[in-house]
Amino acid sequence: DAKKEGKEATQQWEDDWDDDDVNDDFSLQLKRELESNTEKK
Amino acid sequence: IETARIFDFKEFPLRDKVTYMYYTGRLEVYNENFSAADHKLSYALSHCNPRKERNIRMILKYLIPVKLSIGILPKTTLLEKYNLTEYNNIVLALRRGDLRLLRCALQEHEDQFLRSGVYLVLEKLELQVYQRLLKKIYIIQKQKDQNKAHQIKLDLIVRALKWLEIDMDVDEVECIMSILIYKNFVKGYFAHKSKVVVLSKQDPFPRLTGKAVNS
Repeated sequence: DAKKEGKEATQQWEDDWDDDDVNDDFSLQLKRELESNTEKK
Repeated sequence: IETARIFDFKEFPLRDKVTYMYYTGRLEVYNENFSAADHKLSYALSHCNPRKERNIRMILKYLIPVKLSIGILPKTTLLEKYNLTEYNNIVLALRRGDLRLLRCALQEHEDQFLRSGVYLVLEKLELQVYQRLLKKIYIIQKQKDQNKAHQIKLDLIVRALKWLEIDMDVDEVECIMSILIYKNFVKGYFAHKSKVVVLSKQDPFPRLTGKAVNS
């Protein structure tokens, strides 16, 4: 089990995380912000 | 020297190797040789005694900033297991492109990061966060208008930053963008007069995935 645990620490990484998803809260807020400002101009 | 005889002799080389790789790996971090640091610290991590959580934590304290700078993120479970939650918000900031969050997280744990000597390494993550933010602006634009998406007005970036409570004028943003292009975080060029970044149509945001940035 100890070996398994050690392996775990070496496998807990993500190198393929950079997705094109813009549906998280942060992106949605950013979107609203950019669009509302465009309209004001 | 006396106690040394008690131990299994075979154990010594590996232990010494792990210790050696840990310390030389740390040196590589200070010298900003991130791929060498990654190699050495990963060796230490995979060969150290998995029951010694304290040691694993010590290795991770240096390996995480190294991995982050070459574009690899630790999973939340790893951060939680080894009580390295000071990295939670840094990882989140990278995922989001949230410059404000990155700066806050660095400030909040400043002492700790300065003490372990990784502060400067983490500070350089800003460029990755800018890249991510720009990419999000690009994707949002693309949803509206496929054809013009690769032209991003500097104004728009200024606005996004203002929204993140970061005050920068167009010239400053232009400067950051040129650094991003120079360091190959972004493929494209400037239209200086019209204040627009024109992104390459092919792979405008190259991924790091394991490669170190030339600095």
